[in-house]
Amino acid sequence: MRVQLKDIRKSYGSLEVVKGLNLDIAEGEFLVLLGESGCGKSTALRMIAGLETITEGSLMIGERNMTEVLPKYRNVAMVFQSYALYPHMTVAENIGYPLKLQKTPKAELQSAVLAAATKVHLEDYLERMPRQLSGGQRQRVALARAIVRTPSVFLMDEPLSNLDAKLRGAMRAELKRLQAELGITTVYVTHDQIEAMTLAHRVAVMDAGVLQQVAPPKEIYDNPATRFVARFIGSPAMNIVTGSVADGRVTVEEGAVPLEGYAPRERVSFGFRPEDCSLVSPESGMMKARVFSTEMTGNETIVTCEIGQDHVVVREDKDFDMKPDEWVGIDVVPEKARLFDYDSGKRVHT
Amino acid sequence: MRERSFFQRLFEPPSLTEMAPASKLLTYAILIGWTIVVLFPLYWVLITSFKLPFQVNDGPDFIPFIDYQPSGHAWRYIFVELGNDTLRPYLNSIIIALTSTVLAVIIGSLAAYALVRIQYNVKIGTIAGFIVLLGATVYSINRFGTPWHLTAAIALALFFFFATSFGRYFKRALKNNDILFWIISNRILPPVVAVLPIYLMFQRVGLLDTHVAMIATYMAVNLPIVVWLMRDFFAGIPIDLEESAEIDGASRIRIFATIVLPLARPGLAATFLLVLILAWNEYLLALFISTADAQTMPLLVAAQNATRGPQWWYMSVLIVIMIAPIVLMTILLQKHIARGLMVGAVKG
Repeated sequence: MRVQLKDIRKSYGSLEVVKGLNLDIAEGEFLVLLGESGCGKSTALRMIAGLETITEGSLMIGERNMTEVLPKYRNVAMVFQSYALYPHMTVAENIGYPLKLQKTPKAELQSAVLAAATKVHLEDYLERMPRQLSGGQRQRVALARAIVRTPSVFLMDEPLSNLDAKLRGAMRAELKRLQAELGITTVYVTHDQIEAMTLAHRVAVMDAGVLQQVAPPKEIYDNPATRFVARFIGSPAMNIVTGSVADGRVTVEEGAVPLEGYAPRERVSFGFRPEDCSLVSPESGMMKARVFSTEMTGNETIVTCEIGQDHVVVREDKDFDMKPDEWVGIDVVPEKARLFDYDSGKRVHT
Repeated sequence: MRERSFFQRLFEPPSLTEMAPASKLLTYAILIGWTIVVLFPLYWVLITSFKLPFQVNDGPDFIPFIDYQPSGHAWRYIFVELGNDTLRPYLNSIIIALTSTVLAVIIGSLAAYALVRIQYNVKIGTIAGFIVLLGATVYSINRFGTPWHLTAAIALALFFFFATSFGRYFKRALKNNDILFWIISNRILPPVVAVLPIYLMFQRVGLLDTHVAMIATYMAVNLPIVVWLMRDFFAGIPIDLEESAEIDGASRIRIFATIVLPLARPGLAATFLLVLILAWNEYLLALFISTADAQTMPLLVAAQNATRGPQWWYMSVLIVIMIAPIVLMTILLQKHIARGLMVGAVKG
């Protein structure tokens, strides 16, 4: 179902943790709330679930105003970071618990439990207790418990962060497939940008209780709305160098990059991604820098350079070979560069 | 490596999982010593119950059939000659201890759960208002003879008026921890201080020497212990489980019954046993409240120390049959006092 958050705020006493959140989540959409820990994303999710009261604003799920409705009447399903399995119940009882509460007839309940368990490949573990399962299997039980009753919204609070890296990748793929198959609106909270980029139809980036940008992953990556989003998305992160704009170029401490069409500015944050720049000889480069360190990752080399006070990361191919403190030149692809206001961090357009 | 000396071998652990021989010896010596301290009185009570008076007085004899010839005379006296005079207190003890414990555990767990999951904020002004009105009500009824139901109704109405109007202006408030401390303080108070008022109260309402009076008193006295113990057990249950159940569609009572209580089972069993033992062995309150019909076992045991001096042989029989049900209960409940129930609930 469609979920609408209208100017939602949450305060604990005088401390405001969510500052006016507006989101319109379409039916069947997979929306990822992305941000650092403490940015208010989990609180936002818990407000949709009804586990936290909404201080101000309104929440609509479908056609119904849910702002003041108890969690049990919202028909949402939530997967917790800790899985929150009922340790004294078998896997089958865990999965069937929501249906049992709805007084579903026994035969119907059993077939629904089996169907949900089959979807997450748990059909052989129905009689086990949670303590007899591995982390990944527990995660699947939590998922099955969420999908067993066709909720109007799925809410997921960092569901994969307790799994090891390899399992996380596999579960991510399964989760994406499962959501597409069921077509149920999903709000997914994470601090992991890879999860956000790979799973989401749209990513909502939050910082300090404020929504920074809502856009599809590619748009978020190519056209970050703020310096925060630019730095947060991408690994290694976007390079930000402080400089000034005048006469169709950005001047930094050790050189200048031609950039047409920007109004002159005294101070500006000049951003470009590590793959949108390259190392050349110090004489011919747009900017001059010193090599700070090099890291060979296998398929490429991550080169960190120093321009004045700023560090700039450049992706080079794996055969790159230079020693620290050598001088290099850096060329930037001008049309891939982005400018942000130095003080507000907002994107500056041509 | 150099050969280790005898003393080195004595004080060095042979492996990481084993104790050094010297510490092993010391540990077992202490354990055996303590076991004797605990078990010997039980053994003595058991053999004394099979002795004749002269064998007790001539003693000490410790080994049946060798030191003395066992006799069932004390058992016969207690069960055949006294008959109902033994069985009635026995039955009373069982009824009173079990009922009061069950009630205390039910009410106490509900209170403990509320103290863990609900934040209370009771204004001190409201409490002061309540106490003043309560005092005024009692004074008015006793001094001026106003009808009690009318006085109470007026006081209640005044209280609600006060709480909703002036009460809100008080800043200082009692939080959950204060409430918990107040509950515990009820138990810190020595029972001997409260026993006379309790006696007078039951005398006034004509409930002296009844099961109801005993059950109500024991329940009230043991409630603080239940609240205190259960609070910790409930606090140990991850809140995620309850929130998850809430989203799954369960009501608060349902969550308590199907999630919280089953997970607190070890705590419930331990608390139940402790409170049962306290109620089972209680003497002082029983001495005041019960005289004949509601008399419990501890009174009967004490009564064996009568005008003819302590009759150890009868007392021993009573103690043996008094210990038996508690031992049985402990064995029954032991398997519930298992740990590791929470494994698998959260995280991987």
